[in-house]
Amino acid sequence: MSEIWWIVLLGGGLTYLTRSGGHLVLSRFERVPPRLAAALNAVPAAVLTTLVAPVLLTGDWPERVAIVLSLFLALRLPLIATVALGTAMVALARAAGL
Amino acid sequence: MSSRSDFRAGLRDVLPVLLAIMPFGIVYGALAVDAGLSVLEACGLSLTIYAGASQLVALQMVGLGAPLWVVLFALTMVNLRHLLYSASVGRHLGAFSWWQKALAFCFLVDPVFGAAETRVLTHRLSPTYYFAFAMALYGGWQVATLIGATLGGFIGDPAALGLDFILPVYFLTMVMEFRHRAGFYPVAAISAVASIAVYALIGPPWHVTLGALAGLGYAALFPPKGRSQDGGAA
Repeated sequence: MSEIWWIVLLGGGLTYLTRSGGHLVLSRFERVPPRLAAALNAVPAAVLTTLVAPVLLTGDWPERVAIVLSLFLALRLPLIATVALGTAMVALARAAGL
Repeated sequence: MSSRSDFRAGLRDVLPVLLAIMPFGIVYGALAVDAGLSVLEACGLSLTIYAGASQLVALQMVGLGAPLWVVLFALTMVNLRHLLYSASVGRHLGAFSWWQKALAFCFLVDPVFGAAETRVLTHRLSPTYYFAFAMALYGGWQVATLIGATLGGFIGDPAALGLDFILPVYFLTMVMEFRHRAGFYPVAAISAVASIAVYALIGPPWHVTLGALAGLGYAALFPPKGRSQDGGAA
């Protein structure tokens, strides 16, 4: 069996462990300690942010400007409109050769 | 809410995400075949691992001739954020039977996590909504992988349409949905600064885990006053 198929099998198993492991650990608690609960409530703000923020570092200027503008658009517009406008800004900037 | 409208809501919410991940999946499929994998092997990784970043890391390390255990270690490091996802989302699966829970965790990728957490801000998270969203996304990823692996060379540059930028904007808008949660701004700001610093100093994928831990640490040290949302037992 090639190395790839071992990665398919074992990598898939390990991935499932991380995707279920947090719940398996947490469900052993009779009651979730308040500080842990506070940390869990912060997971969306903490983790999803780290997927976006490096654009400010690695992106070119149109991308940096677009991500900051999108942040303000998101305060006002529905999700789909913000995504469309943010993406359009970058596409237009690239078409214009910026 | 009826299960039919939950089903429709799940599909409606997944549509923009599908638009964002399909080009990414096509690129992955093309890269995989480029790296010497067969079409079947390229699809195999998508079927079981089902995580774009992890699959690209695996490709890169196989290309570098890394031994199996090193590939698996790197993959797990990229996947660590899923531990946090399952810990958080697990608290909202009250309407799921045990096998629905077990199945739900198979599909707990970034957009599914975001959608599930956003959903519980306004609704009860039903299996119908969750699986409509999650299965459509999973199917889309498989189709995209297959397209990329078989037709890779014929597809133009997705960057020209800005498609590579959909995911960052999508995650940004998803983050902003949580802005009314107590303690949101300090946590998001600390995670943003920490992830950028780690990205610059250590490099990816550590910026995700370490950046997130900075924000979570702050939330644990300075829990928001007042009602803690969903703070009960799992």
